[in-house]
Amino acid sequence: MAVAWIGSREVTGTEAARRAAELLAQSRCPVFSLDGDVHAWRAAIALAERVGASYDQLQGATLARELALFTGKGAITVAPGEVRRRADCIVLVGEIPASCRVWLKDVSGTKPDLAGGTGRSLFRVDSGRGAGRQVSSGGGIAQTLAALRAQLAGRSSSATVSNFDALRKALGNARYAAFLYSGAGLDELAIEMLQGIVADLNRTQRAAMLLLPDNEDAWGGALASTWMTGFAPRTGFGRGMPEYDPWRFDAARMIADREADLHLVMASRRNDIARLPRRPTAIVLSRTDAPVANAAVTIAIGEPGRDHDAVRYSHRTGTIVAQAAEKPSQRASAAAIIGAISEALPC
Amino acid sequence: MLTRIEGGHVVDPASDRSGVGDVWFEDGRILAGGEGRAPDRVIDAAGCLVMAGAIDIHSHIGGGNVNTARLLLPEHHRAHLPRPAATPLSNAGWSTFETGCRYAQMGFTTVVEPAMSPGAALHTHLELSDIPIIDKATLAILGNDDFLLSMIRDKASPAMIEDYVAWTVASSRALGVKVINAGAAAAFKENVRTFSFDDVVPSYGVSSRRIVKTLQGAVNALGIPHPLHVHCNNLGAAGAADTAAVTMAAAEGLPLHLAHLQFYGYGTEGKRKFSSAGARLAEIVNSTPEITVDVGQVMFGQTVTVSSDVMRQFSARGTASPKKSVIHDGDANGGGIVPYRYRPDYYGALQWAVGLELFLLIDDPWRVFFTTDHPNGAPFTTYPAIFRLLMDREARAEAIAALPKAALAMTTLPSIGREYSWEEIAVMTRAAPAKLLGLKDRGTLAPGAIADIAVYRKQPDIEQMLGAAAYVFKDGDLVVRDGEVTHYRRGKALRLDTPVDAAMRRRMEAFHQERYGLSLDWFTFPDHAISRAAPFAEVACRS
Repeated sequence: MAVAWIGSREVTGTEAARRAAELLAQSRCPVFSLDGDVHAWRAAIALAERVGASYDQLQGATLARELALFTGKGAITVAPGEVRRRADCIVLVGEIPASCRVWLKDVSGTKPDLAGGTGRSLFRVDSGRGAGRQVSSGGGIAQTLAALRAQLAGRSSSATVSNFDALRKALGNARYAAFLYSGAGLDELAIEMLQGIVADLNRTQRAAMLLLPDNEDAWGGALASTWMTGFAPRTGFGRGMPEYDPWRFDAARMIADREADLHLVMASRRNDIARLPRRPTAIVLSRTDAPVANAAVTIAIGEPGRDHDAVRYSHRTGTIVAQAAEKPSQRASAAAIIGAISEALPC
Repeated sequence: MLTRIEGGHVVDPASDRSGVGDVWFEDGRILAGGEGRAPDRVIDAAGCLVMAGAIDIHSHIGGGNVNTARLLLPEHHRAHLPRPAATPLSNAGWSTFETGCRYAQMGFTTVVEPAMSPGAALHTHLELSDIPIIDKATLAILGNDDFLLSMIRDKASPAMIEDYVAWTVASSRALGVKVINAGAAAAFKENVRTFSFDDVVPSYGVSSRRIVKTLQGAVNALGIPHPLHVHCNNLGAAGAADTAAVTMAAAEGLPLHLAHLQFYGYGTEGKRKFSSAGARLAEIVNSTPEITVDVGQVMFGQTVTVSSDVMRQFSARGTASPKKSVIHDGDANGGGIVPYRYRPDYYGALQWAVGLELFLLIDDPWRVFFTTDHPNGAPFTTYPAIFRLLMDREARAEAIAALPKAALAMTTLPSIGREYSWEEIAVMTRAAPAKLLGLKDRGTLAPGAIADIAVYRKQPDIEQMLGAAAYVFKDGDLVVRDGEVTHYRRGKALRLDTPVDAAMRRRMEAFHQERYGLSLDWFTFPDHAISRAAPFAEVACRS
């Protein structure tokens, strides 16, 4: 099985790492797009520091939305285990990631065993089909949340919200209400409005938000980035120190505006990257068996948790977990490949 | 490499050594001498003070709450970049990298993160493993977890509770146990907003006192060297001194450590109903030999308060500056992150004074420990300034003169003339922490100890002297020279070697399957998950 290519030419992993290091050393403005487990992020951030790169998540817009609440406003949050055991009123807000459906089904099928042991009510605020009563104004989720916040606080709103009385009653009776959301389902303002609803409720009762990240590895990477540099992604080392700027270090923007002259892509799932634009020059680490179209260097890696042991964020625990390989293979981890590239860099 | 640190003023209370002399080391260990061999390297320490590497027993340097604080405050870290020292927020940033470097520059070589949620142990240890140079350790938080509260409610045997504590310490790779506002996080989830020592957790019928006493007994019975580390109820409240007093009285002859006592040193006298009870608490400590404390000194400026005392942090969020906060109901342990700026107003000045009163009025430096409860009272980077306040009464008087007289009238601080000696500083920051934590291989320059050594060039400005060590050796490696980091290395996380009962492991597996619908494997981790060579070092329990 081939493991690396320079252009479309098959080479050894060592040769590919050496060529990637050369390209990084020559680059004036490298940008990294990252996806992988916590160890892959740690390695990539350390490499970014060495070569003065900026980094972003592979599909960074959703993660940026999820992070904005925490960097800008703060929140009242709850762990998923406490939702399962304690929440007697659960409100799904917007679309919930497909990866969380098994957990949601599990939670929906159990009763809270702490603090009362009653059943639980389930509502969906402009969320897709499924269990629970739909709450909607018909004008989009931001309007629904704004109307909900106003009406729950006893103020009037021009929008009519379906099932509002049922939701208000359920929240009023709840010993613990949990609002579940994701950055894929809500924009920044809607997330902030949701936080406002939760803050209002906590004046007299208990309620909290649970972020179900659209991409768990993205959230794990954000945590690693934060402890390593003090900042979440989008962060850059262009001036020799970590700087955080969600606009300036947006990888997609940097590429579109032709600021970046080198693009390192770390994509740990098959088919994440099949083709890249011709510019800028690209180094791709991907779970692939063939060179990625237009990439200057392609290096095959394994999928964390599948091909090799991994450490990653889990929506089921709300923290970082160790995951043994499901089908151990010879595919190298992204962290190992990044390490080889780092070693090949000139001192 | 055989090294001789030559002609320094050696201060090592653990071996009763004080005076000019040499310190020898090789292969990471202190030697009695060169045994007739010529040294491979000689460090000229004439005019220098030579001590063991310092140990910080209570500093929040890693884990979920700390990282959330970083996430919440990107403006703090941005301000921490190269800028004039007096720039607002200039001292509030701390990545894992900065943490290791800045501690090392001050001569600290071991730091304890005192509040690790066992459920987030892997996250905590990953962060700690990314802190360069220094060794680390953690205290596992218990006291708000359903498993323990249920056992206490159901009158489980002490042996079963000890098994659970041992399992928690072992599986989370901790060096000890901490209890934070015992029972309050569980009560807060049921909408209780205040919680005192004899209040009862709803749904469990268990008082905070009973939780503390249960854990104190288990920690002692297991032979865990560090006494139960207690964050009392009612932190920060006027009148909290009463809570601290009853908690200390509850020690009842068994060792108990009270964390950041300064935050409980508040009485209710005066027209503002907020006064210093520092002298009163110091007197209780002086007369209660089983009690040890750390201070949690407040210093003026911007910081962020980080605590698993979620009830307290929820009530404090109205004072957030900047106006944002994160409150988290975790599995068992909660967390609150509230940025705060200590101002030299009446309340801030009183808090500052209470901490210094505790330092200066507690007689025995073996029982009072040097902390700011980083970052709660102040960032750890303020340590050199605090050393100056303790060692120089004129510096203290100068600082006092700039503060509101109304606040100082409520304290005894202006009348205290004590100045800490170098021997007392060495006890408080080296010998005593090692003894308290059960770390027999550090905190001393005695032969056989690991070669963690701090050399400071003597100068009139104590703050400058202790802020930038002339030389620091970690395990014999030169890591700091003239205040600058010269060498990065990986430290270890120190953990207790507690035996785990197989039946308890099966119980925990069943509990997690039933309550969370997940295998215990989701909540534990193998050592190799840290992805560093030998990330841990074992510490023995008392036999």
